[in-house]
Amino acid sequence: MSDYYARMKFYCDEQRCIQCDGCSVACAEAHELPVGISRRKVITLNEGIEGKEFSTSVACMHCTDAPCEQVCPVDCFYIREDGIVLHDKDVCIGCGYCLFACPFGAPQFPQDGAFGTKGAMDKCTMCAGGPEETNSAKERELYGQNRIAEGKVPVCAAMCSTKALLVGDSEDVSRVYRERVAARGHGVLSAPYGWDTAYGNK
Amino acid sequence: MANTWGYGAMTNSLGDIQNTKAIIIFGANPAVNHPVGFQHFLKAKERNNAKIIVIDPRMTKTAAKADLYAQIRPGTDIPFMYGMLHIIFKNGWHDQKFMDARVYGMDEIKEEAKKWNPEKVADVTGVPADKLIQITRLYAKSTPGTLVWAMGLTQHSIGSSNTRLAPILQLALGNLGVEGGGCNILRGHDNVQGATDMCCLSHTLPGYYGLSKGSWGYFAKSWGVDYEWLKGRFKSEEMMGEKGFTLARWYAGVLAGKPGEDKIKNAGTNLKALVVLGNGITAIAQQAKVKEALDNLELIVLADPFLNEGAILTDKQNDVFVLPAATQFETSGSVTATNRAAQWRNKVIDPLYESKTDHDIIFELAKRLGFYDELTKGMLLKDDPKTAKPVKVKDEFQWPEDATDEIARTIKTIGLTGWTAERLKKHSENWHMFDEVSGRGHGPMKGEYYGLPWPCWTTEHSGSPILYNINRSVAEGGMGFRNRFGLEREGVNLLAEKGSAPKGSANKDGYPEINAENIEEVLGITLTAKEKSLIGKNWKVDTSGIIAQKCMEQGMAPYGNAKARAIVWTFPDRIPLHREPLHSPRQDLTKDYPAYEDKPNHYRVDTQYISKQTEKDWSKEFPINLVTGRLVNMNGAGVETRASKYLAKLTPEMFCDINPGLAANHGIRDGAMMWVHSPEGTKIKVKAKYSHSVSEDRVFLPYHFAGYFQGEDRTGNFPQGTKPYASGESANTVTNYGYDIVTQIPETKGGLCRIEKA
Repeated sequence: MSDYYARMKFYCDEQRCIQCDGCSVACAEAHELPVGISRRKVITLNEGIEGKEFSTSVACMHCTDAPCEQVCPVDCFYIREDGIVLHDKDVCIGCGYCLFACPFGAPQFPQDGAFGTKGAMDKCTMCAGGPEETNSAKERELYGQNRIAEGKVPVCAAMCSTKALLVGDSEDVSRVYRERVAARGHGVLSAPYGWDTAYGNK
Repeated sequence: MANTWGYGAMTNSLGDIQNTKAIIIFGANPAVNHPVGFQHFLKAKERNNAKIIVIDPRMTKTAAKADLYAQIRPGTDIPFMYGMLHIIFKNGWHDQKFMDARVYGMDEIKEEAKKWNPEKVADVTGVPADKLIQITRLYAKSTPGTLVWAMGLTQHSIGSSNTRLAPILQLALGNLGVEGGGCNILRGHDNVQGATDMCCLSHTLPGYYGLSKGSWGYFAKSWGVDYEWLKGRFKSEEMMGEKGFTLARWYAGVLAGKPGEDKIKNAGTNLKALVVLGNGITAIAQQAKVKEALDNLELIVLADPFLNEGAILTDKQNDVFVLPAATQFETSGSVTATNRAAQWRNKVIDPLYESKTDHDIIFELAKRLGFYDELTKGMLLKDDPKTAKPVKVKDEFQWPEDATDEIARTIKTIGLTGWTAERLKKHSENWHMFDEVSGRGHGPMKGEYYGLPWPCWTTEHSGSPILYNINRSVAEGGMGFRNRFGLEREGVNLLAEKGSAPKGSANKDGYPEINAENIEEVLGITLTAKEKSLIGKNWKVDTSGIIAQKCMEQGMAPYGNAKARAIVWTFPDRIPLHREPLHSPRQDLTKDYPAYEDKPNHYRVDTQYISKQTEKDWSKEFPINLVTGRLVNMNGAGVETRASKYLAKLTPEMFCDINPGLAANHGIRDGAMMWVHSPEGTKIKVKAKYSHSVSEDRVFLPYHFAGYFQGEDRTGNFPQGTKPYASGESANTVTNYGYDIVTQIPETKGGLCRIEKA
């Protein structure tokens, strides 16, 4: 598999994201999340300010060098061959170290007790379930749908109204985005919005 | 629209927006209200370098994606558009050839535009002169350009003038009848176009046939019922031809006679009963009046999949009936999209529990009222080709196929002849065989456009994806403007000039709408004696189909080939003129731009214009503009979407968008409660939400909430298990009095209010 494929990645095209929240609602509906859990969030910066308002959709970014995995004291995280970062809720103790480590605020903690309806810690699975038997009742209960096993696109990107949110093999994601940038071909931003803020002006 | 060029519908389509070079959006927020359709706007920008220009009182999510944005004062779209025309004419950016050949009355527009120089426009609209010039240059120079609007343009006392001047702007630039051009009006809810085409309205029979005796006669024949019987259902033949009440003002029909209420003309009686089939009456302007009217009815019936919050609003204790209606997933049939295209929907499941489909509810009602057979008879008939008269061909109808076929058989005005159930189903089943942008079919669907956008003149016709396009033949959806307003006016020819007939037309000139008298001369054909005996009086009532068929053979549109008109001599203003809102923050301008004279018997209600505007200086007590609108996660009155916990989570409470500067002046903190008071003497208590999307002279309220009324929590009225996750004040409790002079749509997009810390 790894000979032919790169890693599975999300990318949100902020030129297209309109903060419709189709992704976050679809995610919550598909995985029957408790209302307090936000596996995916849409963030808007500079709301209402002309020329400066941008929105983007954020969830677990399924990092290659995942900080959550590195800091977890009980080693509940595991990274699949295709790059999807998952964790074992039976091992997780809900300590919250991963939340401190995560740059994106992805880990979520159910409010109804340490071992609530979705386990101790809950996060985006890229619709790939968890360590339980694929498509078993327990997997569904703890991790939600396993759409990847069924050959389906993660529900957030499938439901994205403007196809801002891209997901898949990173080469495919990169190709789609590159085509868009090439098509724009005129005064396109040299880097995504916020790049300068994060990495400093060159 | 209909009064400008023949049909009041989106001219192009959402997909066609990808062909445009510039998109100018007045009073619409497609990023929020049409998020899926908005991808076509973004693709136009991405692939076609199209410029997006947004004119809106708020810096909306759509404006966030715009190249240029103008924050306009509510209700001043006409000065803005005249300002654009002023600059266009002055610089010669208009399309003189198009105007000469296909438009009537542009000289009067030119004269009016002269008055609106950029400085004057800036004073009235609040948009700086250089911004107006920048926008006009960009839009006029980027062709084809498309003009988009929604309720932000229509919901004004001068809404019908706004929706005339926008097409005129497009006509001046020659942006009509071309790919990437047109007036793309966005329909706000599922099947609004279909409901409008079927005329779920009080002033016309289905298909915009009006209420004349001739129209009633045509429908009596088509439905297979006796005209005299139909007449007998009315109090008098005169009332049969009278417009009814509208959704905006039905309450006046209940409250008339009480002190301070508008008078009505309703054959000497007030309204006593109300039946609501899936309408969010808690999102209707003048909510306090709606409540009072509900309280004073003898009977209320509310049929809805979710509990209609009209039942929560009213204090009426007896004779309020709530019927569980099925959803769209529990029935099948065709719906019409914003671009005049149909789509067939299949039933997913049978109606749950005791719920019934809308048509079953209506059938059961008709049975008990004793006219079920007459109501359903049209579905048993077919036009006999030998006599061109409807004959009974079956004893039992099949729903909904026979209803769809009855519509196809009956409605000629907008060309629904080709919309048979069989064809529509085939399109939906093969939707993957159609191009996303042009709608063109391929493979087995070649030669047809997706959903057969009307007019679809015959059962073989392709559908018409772009209205008034003379670069295509009529058989491929081409046509000129409709001949609807006569042949000449004040000595000027109203038909199109020579050379502007659709491609392949036998008649290269302009020509009138086709009737039995002129068909041979205009089409240049000779009819047989048999054809002559069968042909109907005109194309709109020709059940023989001969007129449509002969027109197709000659490459001509049955409705003629005429000029669009800038002058509508039957309207109170011949050409669109600016008039200040009834409640204007600029009292100094109301003298120069006064409201209309009061209008008696406006859809049965005496309606105030100038008397309301001049009652007092409203702006002294109510200095802040009030704008209402929609949220992306909510729909209509909101009970359905607020009953979804995940949608409710996004906006769990009713709120008011307020500029931090304005809020600070009133001591209102972000997240604190505030009162919004209206000139009607009503008020709502809502949560302040700081936002820079509104300037310091206006506030914004979403209109999807209900359950609270003037500070009072009424959610205790919900029967067990029916209370939605989110409830709140209805914005329409504080929207102001004011109705359009022609359509009577309420003026919710340009009122006044006063705010205070709660």
